[in-house]
Amino acid sequence: MTTATASPFVLWIDEPEAVGSKLLGGKFASLAEMTAGGFAVPGGFGITTTAYRYFLESAGLAERARQVRAEAVGADLARVQEISAEFTAAIEAAPLPADLEAAVRSAYAELERRTGREGLPVAVRSSGESEDLAGASFAGQYDTFLWIRGAEDVLKHVRSCWAGMFGAAVLTYRPDADPAAVAVDHGICVGVQQMVEARSAGVMFTLDPVTGDRSKVVIEGCWGLGEGVVSGGVTPSRYVVDKVTFEVLKRDVAHQEQQYSFDPAIAAVGLVPVAAELCAAPCLDDVQIHALAELAKRIERHRGAPQDIEWAVSATGDVHVLQVRPETVWSHRQAEQLVTEKKSAVSHVLARFAGVGVVQGGNRAS
Amino acid sequence: MTLTSSNSTDGVPSSEGAAQAVPGKRFASPFAVQTPAGAEGWQSMYPYYALLSDERREFEDGKFWFFDGMHNPEPLYPFDTIMTENWWVAASQMSTRVWPVPPAGGIDHRIINGYLYISPNAVTDPDEVAQRAQEFAVRAGHYYENWDEIYEQWVAKATDCIERLKAIRFAPLPGMEPESSVFEHRGVYSTYDLLTSYGALIENLFEMGSYHFEMLNLGYGAYLTFREFCQAAFPGISDQTIASMVSGIDILLFRPDDEVRGLAKLAVELELSDIVLGNDDPDATLNAIAAHPNGSQWISAFEKAKDPWFWFSTGAGYTHSDRAWIDDLRLPFSAMRGYVQALLAGEDIRRPLDEILAERVRVTAEYRSYLPTDADRESFDGLVELARQVFPFVENHNFYVEHWHHSLFWSKVRELGDVFVAHDFLDDREDVFYLHRNEIYSALYDLNIGWATGTEARGVTYWRPEVERRKRIREVLKANPPLPALGIPPEFITEPLTVMLWGITQESVQEWLGVDGQDGGELRGVAASAGKATGRARVIIDPEQLHEVEDGDILVCRITAPSWAPVFSRLSAAVSDVGGIMAHTAIVCREYGLPAVVGTGFATTSIRTGQLIEVDGNTGVVRVLEDVSA
Repeated sequence: MTTATASPFVLWIDEPEAVGSKLLGGKFASLAEMTAGGFAVPGGFGITTTAYRYFLESAGLAERARQVRAEAVGADLARVQEISAEFTAAIEAAPLPADLEAAVRSAYAELERRTGREGLPVAVRSSGESEDLAGASFAGQYDTFLWIRGAEDVLKHVRSCWAGMFGAAVLTYRPDADPAAVAVDHGICVGVQQMVEARSAGVMFTLDPVTGDRSKVVIEGCWGLGEGVVSGGVTPSRYVVDKVTFEVLKRDVAHQEQQYSFDPAIAAVGLVPVAAELCAAPCLDDVQIHALAELAKRIERHRGAPQDIEWAVSATGDVHVLQVRPETVWSHRQAEQLVTEKKSAVSHVLARFAGVGVVQGGNRAS
Repeated sequence: MTLTSSNSTDGVPSSEGAAQAVPGKRFASPFAVQTPAGAEGWQSMYPYYALLSDERREFEDGKFWFFDGMHNPEPLYPFDTIMTENWWVAASQMSTRVWPVPPAGGIDHRIINGYLYISPNAVTDPDEVAQRAQEFAVRAGHYYENWDEIYEQWVAKATDCIERLKAIRFAPLPGMEPESSVFEHRGVYSTYDLLTSYGALIENLFEMGSYHFEMLNLGYGAYLTFREFCQAAFPGISDQTIASMVSGIDILLFRPDDEVRGLAKLAVELELSDIVLGNDDPDATLNAIAAHPNGSQWISAFEKAKDPWFWFSTGAGYTHSDRAWIDDLRLPFSAMRGYVQALLAGEDIRRPLDEILAERVRVTAEYRSYLPTDADRESFDGLVELARQVFPFVENHNFYVEHWHHSLFWSKVRELGDVFVAHDFLDDREDVFYLHRNEIYSALYDLNIGWATGTEARGVTYWRPEVERRKRIREVLKANPPLPALGIPPEFITEPLTVMLWGITQESVQEWLGVDGQDGGELRGVAASAGKATGRARVIIDPEQLHEVEDGDILVCRITAPSWAPVFSRLSAAVSDVGGIMAHTAIVCREYGLPAVVGTGFATTSIRTGQLIEVDGNTGVVRVLEDVSA
């Protein structure tokens, strides 16, 4: 089925044509761009939107997929759940075309070869076409499967990602209040990426998400995998870093008793106890905080706008970029003027002496 | 301690019934402060108007007083009150009568157990503030609009004042009046010259003391406005970062150290390194250099550098015990040895001015780029420009006033001390500082009477025992450190000088209220210079002890002086009891990249030399990690 000219089932994120490719969905196209920009992104490949559509067509589910989306618009939640369950089951049961299966197996084998590790643990995650386009993150709506090992398991979770596209939440997620946008046939890419065995991990913003102050990098992190921070299950430590001077202006170190890590007992990622001596210790040292803030600043510059970044620090202390996406709240808000009114510097100072602050609500004791 | 000075005959108010401190609520009443045993009668060393009294008790008891350890870490010498008395008028009158500053009143002073306590007043009536604001806008506006020109005039006035101070001479009265007095028909003689020279000396101090505050509040105000803008735009931005955007790179306070670097370089070029490194004693060094064939070139460079750059105080310049480099060359010479060693090791000892300037440009441009609107960027541009315009005065006035003028002034008073020694009033020139300036007027007249009549002056037998008594009292006072604050804490602190110079903020007052001076585990202060360091504490009370500093020590002091800079290179951090972001030291500390926490209130009384401490210049916290090993 695939020929040299046809759209590929698999695209590696370090291939030149991966940069900006719609076939990778928002998340993975961004990672391809970051890889090309020289940032430390764990290696991997995307099972493209072409592969996804080919699967639906081959299984005779393409038409039904469009119907499901259309039906979900305006339907009550019980009905949405019903059609979601029915169609998800159909996807799980459908056969996988042999050429597609072979392409995924061969790509995973190649990743094993590149890392020199048989049964390499990988993260399998959805990367939707619609993510960045809609101006909303779809955060938490798509699936991520961690610590997947072996081609068989990878294939299984790829299928789960595809099925996840028809979860009730995704079918009803309407960030732009435009039902048509949801009904559109969004494709999905499934990314397969080497796991970073994170000593600590988390997210960071290239602005203060609370105040919108662009002179800050705000880092949230925890011991273990970043799932705890992303899902909200672990209260993260928080560091506010000055983006200009890299001073750490604020540290709120959380006490952490459990972390997400690979748990050999269940052969999967789960909550395990944090080593006693680390519970009260900061999950990042000053050198790592500096490295992360510098990385955040470079990524923002590279992408030309404020970003929301997932990161991980490996056992050896190396910093990795797991995900980048545009910050969506402050970037879409009208900038508010700080100064009370436009006037000369001397007038500002004279007014300050008279008790009138230079900024809105700024008449306060310093 | 039960001993109180409560007998009614000496006019000392009773401590009976005075309010005690209530943790978290109020400080002890100033009237509750007990005179330490052995210091009874300390009040007689100071002017009546600087003392607490029953007649003003209600007023004095209702105020908030904080210890001004920044300018006067030790009990005041009677003569040295001239400095505090000067700014009591000179700083206050700017706020109340000259501008006036709309919400700020004058700053009251009281001396309690020999220590200076101050209390800023605020104008709170909105109508009065509005009325003052109108006057202020016209008068202060004139200064801002013509700042550079007025600053140029200021430098000329200050320099002229210093030249006139240099010309004042004190000499013992002659055995016989010189013939010239007779044949030139002067009609006035040495007694008159002695009195008028002393008058000129005192007036000269008050003249410079007035110039000191001519532009200072306005300079601080422009800076504070910029600071407030930055704090609102970039919440949490550190004070040292804000200062780094406006502070100059060629300010005069760095010049003395630059001169020392220059002399070190010249010593290496002239092959004098061995002499410099081989002598600990500055006089021995100078003699050996003078004897060297290349020596004369170095000596003349040294003489040139010395005046005025070695008129550089080792303290804040407010007490005569703050000796200048020129009085004691050990400090600059030990710094010079360090620079010579660095040069011989192939290091570049020049301050990286281009890099500092480039960094200032980068930091300013980058913050600007993070502002939300064009109006904000315009305001930022204007405010940073105005702050930079006023900053040369803010930073440089220290050298002219506290260093050059004050050091010279103290040396002139010592000259006068020699006159009293020559006329058998005192044993030591330094004893002159145990007389209040107005007592010196009387003593000089007494001296003139003795000289004129040929009978023994009363002072010959009067002053020695009195000076001895005062020395004993002062020693007792010195051994009893003052509380950081007294009275009732204010609801708001907005007076700009209080915040910027003394680092007194709502937070620090709350901290003091809770700590009450006794908790040694953790101290909080103002984060004055970023970075974190751990090391052995070296508590320095007297600049004389500076030579004890060892590599890696953390300096713990009441307040540092910019002239201590040469030992900064040996330190890993600095902690002080007092001082704010614009205190003299903070400026230099930031330049040297030394983590610093200032305004801790209790560092010198709760930390001991040898303790392992941690200084966090990012958060302003100092922790004792390990006690002194026995």
